[in-house]
Amino acid sequence: MSAEKRTKMIEVVGLNKWFGQFHVLKDIDLVVRDGEKIVICGPSGSGKSTLIRCINQLEHHQEGDILVGGVPVEKKGGNVREIRAQVGMVFQSFNLFPHITVLENCTLTPQLGLQMPKAEAEEIAMKHLTRVGIDDQALKYPLQLSGGQQQRVAIARALTMQPKIMLFDEPTSALDPEMIKEVLDVMVELAEEGMTMICVTHEMGFARQVADEVIFMDQGEIVEAGPPESFFANPRFDRSQQFLAHVM
Amino acid sequence: MSDTLIFSPKPDRPAPAESVGLIGWLRGNLFKDVPNALMTILGAYIAFVVLSWVLNWAIFNAVWEAESRRECLDMVGRSGACWPGVGVWFENMIYGLYPKDKVWRINLGFAVLIAWMIPLWMPKVQSKVAIGLSAVLIYPFLASYFFLGGDKSILWTALISLSLTVFVWVWATALSETFIGKSVGEVVVDKAGARNADEQRQRLIKRGVALVVFLVAVLLVNEWALEEVRTRVWGGLFLTLVISGIGITFSLPAGILLALGRRSDMPVISMLCTAFIELFRSVPLITILFMFNTMLPLFMPQGVEVDQLLRAIVAVCLFAAAYMAEVIRGGLQAIPKGQFEAAASLGLGYWQTTTQIVLPQALKIMIPTIVGNFIGLFKDTTLVSIIGLFDLMNMARAVGEDTTWLGLFIEPFFAVTMIYFVFCFAMSSYSMRLERKLATGRDR
Repeated sequence: MSAEKRTKMIEVVGLNKWFGQFHVLKDIDLVVRDGEKIVICGPSGSGKSTLIRCINQLEHHQEGDILVGGVPVEKKGGNVREIRAQVGMVFQSFNLFPHITVLENCTLTPQLGLQMPKAEAEEIAMKHLTRVGIDDQALKYPLQLSGGQQQRVAIARALTMQPKIMLFDEPTSALDPEMIKEVLDVMVELAEEGMTMICVTHEMGFARQVADEVIFMDQGEIVEAGPPESFFANPRFDRSQQFLAHVM
Repeated sequence: MSDTLIFSPKPDRPAPAESVGLIGWLRGNLFKDVPNALMTILGAYIAFVVLSWVLNWAIFNAVWEAESRRECLDMVGRSGACWPGVGVWFENMIYGLYPKDKVWRINLGFAVLIAWMIPLWMPKVQSKVAIGLSAVLIYPFLASYFFLGGDKSILWTALISLSLTVFVWVWATALSETFIGKSVGEVVVDKAGARNADEQRQRLIKRGVALVVFLVAVLLVNEWALEEVRTRVWGGLFLTLVISGIGITFSLPAGILLALGRRSDMPVISMLCTAFIELFRSVPLITILFMFNTMLPLFMPQGVEVDQLLRAIVAVCLFAAAYMAEVIRGGLQAIPKGQFEAAASLGLGYWQTTTQIVLPQALKIMIPTIVGNFIGLFKDTTLVSIIGLFDLMNMARAVGEDTTWLGLFIEPFFAVTMIYFVFCFAMSSYSMRLERKLATGRDR
């Protein structure tokens, strides 16, 4: 398969993490290739958010290796900032910066991190805001927007750093049903453009539509992984069956 | 599909008349029901009694011209205020015992400060941060020469000249950004006809012009000699403003650094900052003032004498910084973890996150408390009277100790109250305006 020839964007080998005495992640192995879309699902407390937060080191792991674009992530400091600049992240609670406008939210980091001149940063920001459909709200403050609009701005903000990989941490869980679709539409579009994505989400429709692989996690372990068709049709483990029975 | 009903929302109706407008407000707030109306009437009556008593004493029954307190008492007894005593002492209450023929130096000093800050309120000016910083960091050199005077060393001359140069820059910037819409540097480059020259040459031109201004300033400053006025004769409102002004401008940045230090991941820094904050917060200001006044000289090498005013200022600064640190830390705690994570996920470093994301939000939340602290500090400076400095409060007390006006205490204290009120109310109103101006989105 040509998929095997594509470069590994993320490689997680033997990852273990503890919160105090609590073993959150147990021997996680994961490979994400260029352009692949991975959906991680599982009950709350299963370690799925912690897993993707280890990739950009918002959480520090104790054992195992994480490689981003072939480069090992150094634990505590080192190359963390360079890694983070390549990995965009979208949070459940949006986390826009409320004291600056939507446009400034999108130009701040390219200006500071990539030393981009203001005019160029604004041009790029407007390009991404237009693609998520928020260009006419660019001069408003984040809290003046609806939740769905804020989340779309958050996606645009992450894209302005021109990341190679996008991590989504339950991006629609804090949204009203009517707003979930507008965010998912943006994510589907992004997937179709070939972005490498890891999404923690309970939106099984989205998983079916875009995922190359669905990963089911429980109690800190990857229980099973596979293409969405087979995972949804015949989950092999009892635990996955129970979970699917609840969310579908 | 023909069965589908079309939903059309009802049109908006105006609110009932009794809930809007002046009548609505009166009904809603002052005369809601019988007890409410009675409270309103009682409150109005009390306000009337107090106000009429104060006005009668302070204005209608007051004596405005007299030679001594005896004369006042003969005219109206205690039913009216005796203002001439305050009038005679007024200049001392403002300037202390500063020589009368040199008081213009104080006035000029404060006028320059105001002139320095005016550009901060000019809407088209872009470089407000730089101007604000220069007012805090550079202006004090000029001011201390105005106030202190005396011989100038070479370094001192250079600093004063630098201060003048920056002042020229502030106004050149303000004017060029307001009327031409360009920074002063660009205007200079344009005038030199070097608009298309490379960056290095342009920088050279800008620096050259700055150097010329600086040299002119040096020549002026060299020619210019002000007689020394020892801090011993400083006093009154002037002294209060100097101590509280320095305390306020020092406490904010120092408090920010201490608060960041206390929250730092580095245990040594965190422990040092915590120890400093807790030490200075658990001791009354008056004790710190005494300690600095009496004990500091003991630790100094023989012959080195630290000015008494300077000792008081250092004590006030450290005390205020410790308090401010806890206020700022409160603001930092209020910033959700998600803000730090979002900044981190975008690849921002510690200082970028702190200065661009965290502090602007934390300081905004804490404006009321920060200004509250400033006001508290302004009033706390009255404590320096205890170590023998003649601040506004101590000057007011001196009036009643003057043999001509012996026993005249209420009137000068009333005047001092008014002066304090004007300053504190101005600070508080400004903070409220600032809050409204900085409001974004959901918060009011």
